[in-house]
Amino acid sequence: MRVRKRSTMAALAAGLLVLTGACAEGNQGAPATSSSAPAASAEPFKPPTITVGTAEDSKGPAIEPEGVVRGGTVTMIDRDDFAHFDPGQSYVNTATNFGLLIHRGLTGYKRVAKGDYKLVGDLATDAGTVSDGGKTWTFTLKDGVKWQDGSPITSEDVKWTIERTFAPFITQGPTYVQQWLTEADHKKAYQGPYDGKRLDAIETPDDKTVVFKFKTPHADANYAFAMGGYAIVPKAKDTKEKYDKEPFSSGPYVIKSHVVDKTLDLERNPNWDAATDPIRGAYPDKWHMEFGQEALQITDRLMADAGADQTAFTFYASVPPERLQQVLGDASLAPRLLKSPSPYGNYYYFNLDRVKDVKIRQAINYAWPSKQIQQVSGGPAAAALPTTILNENTTVGYEPYDLFGKTTKPEGDIDKAKELLAQSSNPTPTIVYAYNQTPVQEQVTVVIKSALEKAGIKVVAKPLDRKTYYDSIGLVKNEFDLYWGGWGADWPSGSTVLPVIFGPVADGAPNYAHLKDPALTAEMDKITAMADIDEANAAWMALDKKVQETITPLVVAENRIANILHGSKVGGAEIDPQFWIVSPNTIFVKQ
Amino acid sequence: MLRFLTRRALGAVVTLVVISAVTFFLFFAVPADPARLACGKVCPPELLEQARHNLGLDQPLFAQFTAWLAGIFVGRDYGGLGHCPAPCLGYSFVNKAPVFETILDRLPVTVSLTVGAALVFLLFGVATGIIAALNQGRPLDKIASVSSLIGFSLQIYFVGTLALYFLVYQNQILTRPQYRPFTEDPLAWAAGLALPWVVLSIIFTANYTRMTRSTMVEQLGEDYVRTARAKGMKGRSVVMRFALRGTLTTVITIFGVDLGALIGGAIITETTFGLQGLGRLSINAVTDSDLPVLMATVLVAAGAIIVFNIIVDALYAFIDPRVRLS
Repeated sequence: MRVRKRSTMAALAAGLLVLTGACAEGNQGAPATSSSAPAASAEPFKPPTITVGTAEDSKGPAIEPEGVVRGGTVTMIDRDDFAHFDPGQSYVNTATNFGLLIHRGLTGYKRVAKGDYKLVGDLATDAGTVSDGGKTWTFTLKDGVKWQDGSPITSEDVKWTIERTFAPFITQGPTYVQQWLTEADHKKAYQGPYDGKRLDAIETPDDKTVVFKFKTPHADANYAFAMGGYAIVPKAKDTKEKYDKEPFSSGPYVIKSHVVDKTLDLERNPNWDAATDPIRGAYPDKWHMEFGQEALQITDRLMADAGADQTAFTFYASVPPERLQQVLGDASLAPRLLKSPSPYGNYYYFNLDRVKDVKIRQAINYAWPSKQIQQVSGGPAAAALPTTILNENTTVGYEPYDLFGKTTKPEGDIDKAKELLAQSSNPTPTIVYAYNQTPVQEQVTVVIKSALEKAGIKVVAKPLDRKTYYDSIGLVKNEFDLYWGGWGADWPSGSTVLPVIFGPVADGAPNYAHLKDPALTAEMDKITAMADIDEANAAWMALDKKVQETITPLVVAENRIANILHGSKVGGAEIDPQFWIVSPNTIFVKQ
Repeated sequence: MLRFLTRRALGAVVTLVVISAVTFFLFFAVPADPARLACGKVCPPELLEQARHNLGLDQPLFAQFTAWLAGIFVGRDYGGLGHCPAPCLGYSFVNKAPVFETILDRLPVTVSLTVGAALVFLLFGVATGIIAALNQGRPLDKIASVSSLIGFSLQIYFVGTLALYFLVYQNQILTRPQYRPFTEDPLAWAAGLALPWVVLSIIFTANYTRMTRSTMVEQLGEDYVRTARAKGMKGRSVVMRFALRGTLTTVITIFGVDLGALIGGAIITETTFGLQGLGRLSINAVTDSDLPVLMATVLVAAGAIIVFNIIVDALYAFIDPRVRLS
C-alpha cells in the first residue's frame, strides 16, 4: 500500500491525499494544515476488522451496499492521472485502487460491512492453502474467470505474472513474492520468462492450480497476493513495457478511451461475471474520469453539487485547509463528507548514530508537543495522535499502548523530560532537527523547537529542499539527529513495517533511525518464520512496544485525517481504511 | 526582407540549441534523481541502477544530449517501447508517451487561452489607454488610471479562485472552464474559455492601458503631431494616423514578448482553471523530474518568444515609416 509519487507537486496543492512513496508520505503534502483551520472536536475512529475469509466468503457476487442502484455513469475527478496500468509496476495506492476496476488478483479484500473486511479468494476459490510449515502456498482458480476477450484465466497466466516481475523493465512494483521465491537480490537470481527460462519455484500442475514454493515460511503470503502489484497479466497479451499503456482486463470494466492527464473512460467488460467476484460491485455502467483539477477546485465543485457534478466524486482529493472550516461547519454537507485517519506510519526518527543515549530519546518523547503540532496541522478534525509504531488501521491484532503519556499529556510532559535528561549523559543536549521546507513544516518546527527548549534541549533547525528531502535523510552519514519519515504497511501486519523500518542500514534504505540490533533482527526473523499468523501478529504488536520501551528509536508523529466530499447522487462512497482512498467497489449512482 | 528573415531564422536555431543545452545540463546539476521516481518503494542500489539504465540515464551526459538532439531530426528507438518518429522530442519518463504527441495535445489549449486573452487585453487595454490619453487629467483618465492600478495589483490565482467560486460553483452564472476544440464546437470552445480569458487579461489589460496612455501622451506632444494639427488636420485623423501609429510600435514590441511568453505556458491560469495546457505540463515536468517534457516545454516557450520577436521586428517596417526608410 504505497502512496503515490508525483509528490512534490503535492506541496503546491496541500489537501491531496496523494503523497510521495510510502516512504515519502506526509510532510510533503496532505490534507490539512494551517493554523487557521478549525479545532473541531476529535471523532473516534474505529479501526477496521480484517479477517481471513472462507471458500464460501470467496464466492460472488459482492455484498451490496445499502440502497444500491445499478447503471448510470459515475464521474471521478482528481489531480493526477494514474501512474501505471501494468500491475507489475503498480505500488501507489491510486494506481492499485484504479486497478480494482480492470484487474483481478489471486486474493483481495471483501467488504462485509462498514469497517469489516475479509481477505478472500478473488480469482482463487479461497484465500489459499498453506503447507510445509508456511513455505508452500496453493491456490485453485475459480471456474468461469475470463479475460476481456472471453479466454479463460489459467494457472499459466498466474505463473507468468509473477515471473515477468523479475524482468528488467519492472522496477516499481512490490518485490515480496519474488524475494521469497528466490533471494533478496531477486533480479540477479532470475531475469524473467521472456528468454524462455521459467521459474521452478512456481508449479502449475493443471490449468486451475498454482503452487508457490518459498525458501522460507511466510504465513501471510495470501495477504501479499492481494496487493495490486500482483494482479494477473495474460501471458498471451503481455506486451512487456507497452503493457503499461495497453492493459488487458480481467475486471468488470475495460478502458474505452484514455487521454493522458486529461480523461479516462471505462465501459463494462462483457466477460466479467459478478458471480465469480466477491469484491467488486461494479454498479455503474460507465466511469468517466477527469484529471488536472486541484483539491480546491474539486472541493468547490462537490460543495456546489450542481448538474453533472452531483454524480461526481474523488478518489483522494481531501478538502483543503481553506475550505475545511466551511465544510465541517456546514451540516448540509455532512452526509456527503467522508472521514478517515491515515493508515500510514509517520515518525520522527532519531539518528541513533548521533543520539546515542536512550534517556535523551525518551525525554524528547515526553516533551514532544503533540497537541500543538495537531493544532498547526488543522486541529483534531485534520490530525489524530497515535501512540504506537504500527498503525491501528493496518494491523491485525492491534493492541494500543502509550509509553510517553501522549494521551494524558498531549501537550508534552516537560517535568518528566527534565527528570530523564538529568539522568542522561547530557542534561542540556543539542539536537539538529532536519525538516522538509514546506509552509506547514515551518510552523511545526517552531512548535517543536519551543517545546524541546522548555525541557532544556537546544534545537538547531535545518530546512531541507522538499525535492531532495529523502535523499538527504536517507544518507547513513547524515548530519542530523532527528527527522520525519513515513511508511505504509503493504498488508495488515507488522511484517511489512518493522522489518523494513528497522531493516538493513544503507544509503536510501528506510531504516532512517540506523537501528542495528542483532537481538531485534533475530526476533524479527523469528516472527517472520512463524507459521501461525495470529501468533505472528501478536508478536509484532508486542515487539512494537518493546522497541519503543527499550530502544526508543523514534517519536510517533501525528496522523492526518482525510476529509473527502462526494456528489449528492453518488452512493456507496467509503474511504478504504487500509488504503486511505475512496474504494471503487461499492460506488453507485443514485437515480 | 528575405535576408533579414533568413538571418533571424538562423539566429533563432542557434539560440534554441543553446537554450536546449543549458536546460539539459542544468537539469542534471540539480541533485534530484529521476531514476528514483521510477524505482520501487524499497529502492536498493541494484534496482535504482536498473531504473537508471532503463531511462538511459547511465549514458554520458553529452551522449544523452546528442541522442536527444539527433532524435529531433531522425527519430529514436526506445527498445521495448518502440520507435519514436522524427521530430522526436524524447519519451516521457512519467506519461510513457512520445513527448511530441503530448506537446501537440497540449498546445491547442494554451494557444486558445493565449490568443483569446490577448484579443481581450489588447482591445480593452489599448482602447482604454487611448481614451485616457485623450482625456488627460479629466475624470475618465483618472478612472482609467485607478482601474489599471487595481488591475495591475490583482493576482490571477486570487481573482480566478474567487470568480470560480462565485460565478461558477455557487451561482452557476458561467460555464465551468474547460477546453473543447474549436473545430468540434466553436461555441463550447468560447464558453469554456471565457472566464480564463477575462481573468488572464485583467493584469495585462491594466498594463497595456498604462503603457498605451503614457506613450500616447508622449506622441501627442511630438512636433509632427503638433505640425499636423497646425496644418488643420482633424483631431481623429491626427490621433489615428500619427499618434496611434507611434504608440503601436511600443505596444507591439511588448505584445510580441507577452504573446510568446504566454504561449510558452500560462502556468498560473492553467493551474487555477484546471486547463491542461503547456503551463501545467511544464510545472508537472519540473516536479516529476521529467527531463524530456521539460526540455520540450522550454523549447516551445523559447521558440514562441523568438518567433514573435521576429514577427514584431518585421512588423515595425510596416508600422513605422522611419524603420522602412532606415
